[in-house]
Amino acid sequence: MAPVQGRGASWGSDRTELLPRGYRVGDWEVAEPIGAGGWATVYAGRSAHDRTDDTDRTDSTDRTDDTDPTPRPHDQDGDRAPVRGEVALKVMPTAGLAPRQARGVAEAARREVELARRTGHPRLVRLLDSLVLSAPERPSLDGAIVLVMERARCSLRDLLDGGVTEAEGGRLIGGICEGLAHLHRTGWVHTDLKPENVLIGADGSVKLSDFGLATELTGTHGHAPPMGTLDYLPPERWRAPLGDLGMQVRPTADIWALGIVIHEVFASGASPFPGATPAARGAAVQEYAAGRAPLRMDTAVPEFWRVLAADCLAPTHTARAAHTAESLFERIAAQEGGREEPTPRSRAIRVWRRTRVAFLAVTVCGAAGAAIWSYAGEEGPSAPSDASDELPAQIRVFNAERGCQDRADRDPQCSLGLAIDPMRPYTAENVVPTRVWHGDVLDIDCQIPRGQSIIDEEDLESTRWFRVRVPHADAQARAWLPAVRTKDRPALPRCPLPTPTR
Amino acid sequence: MSGVVVHLPQGSGGGVGREPYGDAVTLRLGPGESARFGRGSSTTPVELRLADAAISRLAGEIRATDDHWQLSNHSTTHSYLVENPEGAGEYLRVPPRRAGAPIPFEFSRVVLPTRRDTTVSFQVFAPDHLYLDPQGMGGPGESRTVTAYSLDETATYFLVLVVLCEPWLRDESPVAVPTTPQVVERLRGHAACARLTPRAVSSHIDYLAEEKLRIDVPQTAETGRGDRRNGKREAVVALALRFGIVQEEHLALLPPRAARGW
Repeated sequence: MAPVQGRGASWGSDRTELLPRGYRVGDWEVAEPIGAGGWATVYAGRSAHDRTDDTDRTDSTDRTDDTDPTPRPHDQDGDRAPVRGEVALKVMPTAGLAPRQARGVAEAARREVELARRTGHPRLVRLLDSLVLSAPERPSLDGAIVLVMERARCSLRDLLDGGVTEAEGGRLIGGICEGLAHLHRTGWVHTDLKPENVLIGADGSVKLSDFGLATELTGTHGHAPPMGTLDYLPPERWRAPLGDLGMQVRPTADIWALGIVIHEVFASGASPFPGATPAARGAAVQEYAAGRAPLRMDTAVPEFWRVLAADCLAPTHTARAAHTAESLFERIAAQEGGREEPTPRSRAIRVWRRTRVAFLAVTVCGAAGAAIWSYAGEEGPSAPSDASDELPAQIRVFNAERGCQDRADRDPQCSLGLAIDPMRPYTAENVVPTRVWHGDVLDIDCQIPRGQSIIDEEDLESTRWFRVRVPHADAQARAWLPAVRTKDRPALPRCPLPTPTR
Repeated sequence: MSGVVVHLPQGSGGGVGREPYGDAVTLRLGPGESARFGRGSSTTPVELRLADAAISRLAGEIRATDDHWQLSNHSTTHSYLVENPEGAGEYLRVPPRRAGAPIPFEFSRVVLPTRRDTTVSFQVFAPDHLYLDPQGMGGPGESRTVTAYSLDETATYFLVLVVLCEPWLRDESPVAVPTTPQVVERLRGHAACARLTPRAVSSHIDYLAEEKLRIDVPQTAETGRGDRRNGKREAVVALALRFGIVQEEHLALLPPRAARGW
């Protein structure tokens, strides 16, 4: 929700009719408007039963502050802090809309109610009530859907305008990530994550809100209406086809948006992508995803968060899939945990924590464990010399993305990257410029059983990597293909410890 | 942002007999990508070859940027014209040596002069032009939630789309999507469409399906070309209605209907 900026300008030109202060909606009483979004107006409100000895206010006495252009996050009724029973009323008018538009509004409201009913969590804004406004005397609002939610102090966008410290920024992002992890765990994708939709409670707690586009997953993806906020759309969304049910969305779309939000938190609200307008920044996202421009983050973003944001902003769904909200939240928790220790000991303790996290990761990978240690100690005399021109085997590239399997046009969206170093994250910085496509046949000479773990679109996971000859390049050029990108499993010697090749 | 599409119609270089490049050429440029055009040679490679003796070897360059494109004129003597075929004569002139002139049209025809009476031209489509949602209420423009598919409601393709959807919008329980001849007939009374041909209507439908809505048309090997076009037509209508891209209020864009149906 955007804050109200200069009521005259913001509301005057619209057809929106405002509810007067003191108006009763079910068990709730309307105070002043606090924001407006695509389909809705949000008011401060409170339980009508909480009202005590307040004298009845009328519209005329209450509008004295109308010239005040600043948002008013707090109820200025005297000096009390937000009390129990203070709520936000999201009013979504349906009157005056064409039947199909009205259905769209009802659908958005239904998603919010459904999500709230099934996935309560401290990091998600709580829905207290939902009702339909009966106001025959106000035709434009009659029949509006009203969602009653817990009241927030402000949005993350409001905080960013003032700048946040690193510690505060870390806490905020941790909260967002925790909320996302919960959403994804319960099978939902937010699809419209942005600072306007991250609310800050009276106690400073972080709460995700605005689930009007949230989508429940069926299998690996869900479908959402073709809507979103330009600055937060992942690259694949710009060219996504529109099907019968809408657009395909996957949790990695939220991860991309999270990457943008992380950058914004530490860069005073600026996107990592250059451009004066959302459309220009959208074009910059496409250039980056196509490998024609690098990711350039603001130097104000601290190192840890820069790495985290870069992982979230991996250019393809596949590369991003390795970074789930859950895993990102664990990394943040480990970092934030280290930070809280007193300075003299913090270094040692942090190292220990990191070690423990790494150890856990190894344990989870189970059976592969034994092989890792033997591999790490081995400088492979068994591997063939790089100088030999004939490589021992070939593999055929497999792209699990169905839409890419039947195409022969080598569309960039269907291309796959070859890693420079299989031990480092499979991100844009770590791939060679040469791309490969489904069906390509590559020469390979050796393999490693445990590099970075890669999960493909079908949720197959493997830590095996093949060393391949880079096609159309110097005969000595080598790069790495993750084993999930081929169905072939030739018998191959183990590679010597990888040295980056270009 | 998927960039721009450049289309050089068949034979556009006057490529008769000896010229090996008389075929139609379609290039797709993503944001930041560019294509050079001109007569070309082995030392002056161009992506778009225009075979006319009056055209320089490197005549100019097109660069996709943001949601539009830029035209550079490398000629030192000739101006190029960029016409908007839907703009009732609207055009702009790009003078010699102008670098990176921004072109605001969604549809453009770039016209280069020749020594003969004819001109050489090619088309550039910029389907990424962004339009704000009509129902957007308040909120700052920068970070509002918008429909990811935006159409120019003054463009001919939108009129074609409204005609295709009209039977449903009027609740006539139709059995089929209007045919191309029916679309031509329905728009005959519209000032901008008096000379609309069936072929143009088909192109508009293809443009809607492939560039604007990017529809996932299930391709089956058995169905013929006619069936596929029909499937595309139905898919366009279904999605436009389902996602509110065309609504009842848009019927006002159409000329009044004749008394007895079509």
